[in-house]
Amino acid sequence: MDSLTEPTDDALVSAAAAGDEGAFEQLFERHRRQVARIASRFFAQREQIEEIIQDSFTKAYFALNTYHGTHAASFKAWLAQIAVNCCYDQLRRARRRPEQGFGDIEETEAQQFAAQLRAAPKDVETELASRDLAVKLLSRLSADDRLVLTLLDVEGFSVAEIAELTNWSVSKVKVRAHRARAHLRRILQRYL
Amino acid sequence: MFRVNSQMNEELDRAGRKILKAAVADEKETEEAAAAPFLFTRIRAAIDAERRRLEEAGSWFSLILVARRAIPAMALLAILAAVVTFWPVRFQANPAPAQSDEEVLFGPAEPGVEQTVLASKGLSRDEVFNIVVDRNYEVNAK
Repeated sequence: MDSLTEPTDDALVSAAAAGDEGAFEQLFERHRRQVARIASRFFAQREQIEEIIQDSFTKAYFALNTYHGTHAASFKAWLAQIAVNCCYDQLRRARRRPEQGFGDIEETEAQQFAAQLRAAPKDVETELASRDLAVKLLSRLSADDRLVLTLLDVEGFSVAEIAELTNWSVSKVKVRAHRARAHLRRILQRYL
Repeated sequence: MFRVNSQMNEELDRAGRKILKAAVADEKETEEAAAAPFLFTRIRAAIDAERRRLEEAGSWFSLILVARRAIPAMALLAILAAVVTFWPVRFQANPAPAQSDEEVLFGPAEPGVEQTVLASKGLSRDEVFNIVVDRNYEVNAK
């Protein structure tokens, strides 16, 4: 019933590209959770997730003319690609800003974290503490390493899917993943 | 040795995966971010700001395009100006007329009142000077 009354994503994209702001707002309402979910895989703070949502939809708006939908899931996939690229840009910007970096991990913190890794977190406070430490550790990875590892290990995407999302070649994704894993191992060996 | 290394790598990879999953924002925070008030208003403001920036960049770009189109016209004008300036000089091959002693001493004759008087009476500049001084002397003496 809904599919009969509700316009498709492609129809809304056409209307939004023609200047219909209401159509773009409808697209935003439909897909903002999806973009928030992608952003949450890379950023733990609410403000950062909101920034990614804002950037993604702003970029999508100006790229509407380049979108040519052919099937129902197409807009979703196209928007996911934009959101992943926004996350990647944000990770790179964060690496360039020294004030955004995290301080050194103290030995006690590292020991505490190693213990938490062995046992499942019991309460919210412990969970938050381990998240902060995890973010600290991952801030030592490059944007490329972080992107590929998150998409592989957290999102569970295949190499081909990552290649499509990032516009990288399949071999580049494989090489990047191998290097990223080696880099993360070195970081963990130092701290844990 | 190899087995120990690979076992260690496996353990580190497992820890790495846990860390990656631990760094993810929780569902509640994600939902709150997605449902943040005025989020679409902020997006609309960002779109307007970006549009203004693009328009400004576009106006500069069109100015550069116009300037680029004007370059051949300006070059043509410069060539024409150069031709107009140098053409008469090149083709006026008349030799300079012989100068009198006075012209050598006092420069070229100027078509003023003095020159007209000098020419009509046949007086030199020295003679005129002496007449003027004598007349002033007589006036002062009175």
